[in-house]
Amino acid sequence: MGGKAMLRRLATSPSGQVVKKQSHSPLHHRMWRAKWLYLALLIPVAMLLLFEWLPAFSALYNSLYIWNGGKVHFYVGLEHYERMLSDRTFRVAITNLVGFVFFRVIMQTALPFFAAEMIVNLRSQRWSYWWKIIFVFPMVVPQILNYLIWRFVYNRQVGLLNEGLKLIGLEEYAHAWLGDPNTVMWALAFVRFPWLPTLQFLIILGGLQTIPQEVHESAAIDGAGFWRRLFYIDIPMTRRQITLAMILTMLFMTQRFDLFLVMTDGGPGYSSMVPALQLYQSAFHFLEFGYASAIGVVLFVAMLALTIINLRVSAGATNQ
Amino acid sequence: MANLTRKRIRLGNRDLPFQLVLIAFGIVTFFPLVLVVITSLKSNTQFYHNFWLPELPFQFGNYSSAFRIIWRYIVNSVIYSGSTICLIAAIASVAGYVFARFRFPFKTVLFLGFITLIMVPGVLTLAPRFVLVRDLGMVNTPFALISVWVSGGLVLSTWLMRSYFESLPQELFDAAYVDGAAEWQVFVYVSVPLARPMIATVAMTTLIATWNDLIWPLVTITDKDKMPLALGVMQFSSDFETDWGTLFAGYVISSVPLLCVFAVAMRQFISGLTSGSIKA
Repeated sequence: MGGKAMLRRLATSPSGQVVKKQSHSPLHHRMWRAKWLYLALLIPVAMLLLFEWLPAFSALYNSLYIWNGGKVHFYVGLEHYERMLSDRTFRVAITNLVGFVFFRVIMQTALPFFAAEMIVNLRSQRWSYWWKIIFVFPMVVPQILNYLIWRFVYNRQVGLLNEGLKLIGLEEYAHAWLGDPNTVMWALAFVRFPWLPTLQFLIILGGLQTIPQEVHESAAIDGAGFWRRLFYIDIPMTRRQITLAMILTMLFMTQRFDLFLVMTDGGPGYSSMVPALQLYQSAFHFLEFGYASAIGVVLFVAMLALTIINLRVSAGATNQ
Repeated sequence: MANLTRKRIRLGNRDLPFQLVLIAFGIVTFFPLVLVVITSLKSNTQFYHNFWLPELPFQFGNYSSAFRIIWRYIVNSVIYSGSTICLIAAIASVAGYVFARFRFPFKTVLFLGFITLIMVPGVLTLAPRFVLVRDLGMVNTPFALISVWVSGGLVLSTWLMRSYFESLPQELFDAAYVDGAAEWQVFVYVSVPLARPMIATVAMTTLIATWNDLIWPLVTITDKDKMPLALGVMQFSSDFETDWGTLFAGYVISSVPLLCVFAVAMRQFISGLTSGSIKA
């Protein structure tokens, strides 16, 4: 009973009286009074310490070591980071990633924006609801199937793309899309192409739907057509959602390498390698856990920096 | 009456260009899916003979031979994702409630211990986490997946639950206290029922994330019988590489579970994903 009453006193109250009284009593008293709260947080805190914080610090720490994931473990300082500078594979991987992310960010923002713009322009509410459902639908397909289906699209012998080219008489362009170093990154950039990225689509759609009807009406009265409205109202007013969609795409594409692993495994040669895949291969194929950790640290820093820059730029643009 | 009809026609015409573009886009979207379904009903001979169109007789046998393999992966995934969802919902509600409703020493530090992890990408922790899980002897057991999925999901879920509980009005809790409810009763009978929409959001985001996770199962589960769907389908696709009908029948079957969730909880599906991400 006493414990319950104590908890009650800790519950936040608008009066603020309780808080003042608490701050006078010594720390260990206050902690003892909150013992049930600590107990309630025990499981999540323990899990996060063990499965999140420990591996994160282990990655930072082991990036300074040569480590095979087992007994072989000795200090080499910043050698892994130096090695990255001269690692040809890593350089290819970075170049690939930059181009890939750049392209995907534009595509995964422009395409859903375009579709969402069409949908909010409909007067029929029922239709705009159904179109929303239709374009969200492909997300019931498991992620792995996106890759496997597009592997079929690009298949040399019986692929959808080559068969399509044959159908319209352009057979001479038929190609081993994933087997040619010149086309492989483009092929990968267009995986899942006509399908909208669900999250980004819903975020941008949500943004466009919150623009008040009156704004559009008064723009129409002033004689603004579709394009003027697009560039002077819709895009500026959804800048926050567009930024969020871009950051999300950027973060997803930088750290998710299942696409590359399933479609090409970095090949042919190293022509479709990306840093996250190289991290995976270093650790799980070559047992270089130290080098893998160092790549992870570099990716982490890069993603953090890009997110901050992106937020700063968009905040600056909104303030003007 | 005449006036009304004219108005309707005019409205329809205004929508027409947008509708046409959307219809074209819709066709392109569904085309690959339709082709997968068509191919799943063909034998290899039929497939090589006619790539585009359906051909009689339909090979429903493809579905039974694919199902014989895929069903186990689906059951596994339902178990793994289901237990992850239940654990996250339970733990994140309690933790979110504690962070939202109480003041206690080190609360800020503990909470920062949760949310700073949002910045830590999974790819950074992949290799050391594997070593940890291996050393704990969890490789090739469901615990390898569930423990890591739960801890990873807790980060965002706790934050979402906390903001939801914070948004509940103080009067509500005061009323319950006046009626003599103990703290746990307030939590179980007042707060959790009110938080149902947010719990559904957490469940939905967790479902999508765990259902589609490929890399973590790939490094921790090697036993075919224990694979979750994503990994199982990849295994299946290399086992049936050139048997196109069976392969695509398997693809269709493995899309069914999420399709059912989508059909039942479409609104929740969409709003859950949107609100989950926007708050992030």
